[in-house]
Amino acid sequence: MTEIAQFGAGRIGQIHASNIAAMKDARLRYVIDVNVEAAGKLAARYGARVVSEREAFADGKVDAVLIASSTDTHARLAIAAARAGKAIFCEKPIDLSLSKVDSCIQEVEKAGVPMFVGFNRRFDPSFSALKRRLDAGEIGAVEQVVISSRDPGPPPPAYVKVSGGMFRDMTIHDFDMARWLLGEEPVEVFAMGECLVDRKIGAAGDIDSAMVLLRTASDRMCHINNSRRAAYGYDQRIEVAGAKGMLRAENLGETTVEHFGAKGTVSDRPLDFFLERYADAYRAEMAAFLRSLKEKTPMPVGARDGRQALVLAEAALKSHHTGQAVKVDG
Amino acid sequence: MVNFALFGAGRIGRMHGENLVRRSDARLLYVVDTKPEAARALAESLGARPATDAQAFGDPAVQAVLIASSTGSHADLSIAAARAGKAIFCEKPVDLTLPKCDQCIAAVKKAKVPMFVGFNRRFDPSFRELKKRLDAGAIGKLEQVIITNRDPGLPDLRFLASSGGLFLDFTVHDFDMARWLLGEEPVEVFAWGAVLVDARVRTEGKDIDTAMLLLRTASGKMCHINNTRRAVYGYDQRIEVFGAKGMLRAANVTPTSVESSGAQATCADNPWPNFQTRYATAYAAELSSFIRSVETRKPAEVGPVDSRQVVVLAEAALKSSQTGKPVRIKN
Repeated sequence: MTEIAQFGAGRIGQIHASNIAAMKDARLRYVIDVNVEAAGKLAARYGARVVSEREAFADGKVDAVLIASSTDTHARLAIAAARAGKAIFCEKPIDLSLSKVDSCIQEVEKAGVPMFVGFNRRFDPSFSALKRRLDAGEIGAVEQVVISSRDPGPPPPAYVKVSGGMFRDMTIHDFDMARWLLGEEPVEVFAMGECLVDRKIGAAGDIDSAMVLLRTASDRMCHINNSRRAAYGYDQRIEVAGAKGMLRAENLGETTVEHFGAKGTVSDRPLDFFLERYADAYRAEMAAFLRSLKEKTPMPVGARDGRQALVLAEAALKSHHTGQAVKVDG
Repeated sequence: MVNFALFGAGRIGRMHGENLVRRSDARLLYVVDTKPEAARALAESLGARPATDAQAFGDPAVQAVLIASSTGSHADLSIAAARAGKAIFCEKPVDLTLPKCDQCIAAVKKAKVPMFVGFNRRFDPSFRELKKRLDAGAIGKLEQVIITNRDPGLPDLRFLASSGGLFLDFTVHDFDMARWLLGEEPVEVFAWGAVLVDARVRTEGKDIDTAMLLLRTASGKMCHINNTRRAVYGYDQRIEVFGAKGMLRAANVTPTSVESSGAQATCADNPWPNFQTRYATAYAAELSSFIRSVETRKPAEVGPVDSRQVVVLAEAALKSSQTGKPVRIKN
């Protein structure tokens, strides 16, 4: 039985807590949140207790911490957890600054604790099946990857200001998918960013639309397209073309019902938003984390993956600012 | 009724010739080819007569010429046709070089003859419907365009060496679609090219076989194009346009709609295998458009200036892929 202390009782925290509750081999022991009321509510639902940070880290019965608090607290909590010898499940991103990520990695590696970073998309049943078939050689060597990733609606400008910008906040998921699918580190990034959706986002210093190209040392290429607003829902598609064919994962609708009418055929919108679209993925990543802990195998996605995605995000930002392609150490 | 002389008795010439003779509003009078044998054979099978350039241009009964000869002869034949006062249907591209394009544009303008350039994809029923709905505002203001263009297999390596390269020979179609769909001229091009399909493409073909590109317009609309010379599943031709109010997509077209569900999986047809089959309807429809513009004396729907612009984009892409830097375009 893995005993877990969870930091953060917000939207994503609630998802993780309910997934932990559904696991036979894990138990939510503590909930910690600056919002004590939210912590209390969540703890009560799953038979956990509200404690202070210090109590949670000091309790020898706590095997692992789940960090689902606000982004700016991730690195500090991960470092504290590492020093306390706890295994770590950390929501992405570890931090918006590379130097903070590096000091976190250093502490975690020094402590020798396992650390999982929540790049949930790797655990989506369709994307993980695509990756498995890719690795099994179904389409031969990878040549081109196309990732479409569009949010249903723009975030509030107040969030935009603290988000680290679209590349770090949103495209970061796509950078992780790109690395995962390309099977090689990108060595070059070219990014075009625009503010086409909401002027307030531009006024807050960010972009809301982007097209990105990545290239690996062996000339595998990847295209990512992003928008903060897709009128038809949360658009999440992947296409990988190789020497022997193509693998595609399409959007998922809430149901598969199609309506055939006089003017055309209508099917469901894609699932809206990430909590619904990736419900299975959140469950599966928790299971993967617990399995790795139990079997003492390396985490399927860890701190170094979190770092590389951030490196690509920073390269994209630099490319967007300078208008030039940016080389990256793979 | 429009009377035609056809230049070029090769594969594309035959296809256009067959489309012409099927029509009730067109008649094929002559077939001209540098190989008289080929001209005679095709003329015979289409019920026309073989002729020389001079005969075809000299006959006042000929109102229009259809130029489907080798690329290098397009511009000169177009200029001669313009001087002879003939309406011109010219296969794409008019020429691979800008000076020659400009010369042709000037000659056509001076002669005041209509000139159509065969960017066939604009006449594909699905792409045309997509464009119609885009223009009607179905997705609001356009923001992103994604064009997937993958050939089923490598062409002859000797052809590659003389083709002008992937961007000029192949991506030109996508540049035309990009311009058409964006509704604005791209002002920036970034391109990566690679040899991933066959190393001989580099060594013998002096070319690339794989590419990814980004284009951007002055108002910030963006377009992605991806190309390969070899898609084992067929001729991959898809378009996606994304705007403020939604998205329009045109998927691949398949020969049949049959799906086979078995113990392991459900299988559907692959896309049509090549451009002749995929764009059969488009080739017939572009001819209709040309004949309509000749009969109504309206400007051609797609002309030599469009062809020139795609050469500008292809040259920019080539430069970008060679320098690793985005290339600005002055319009």
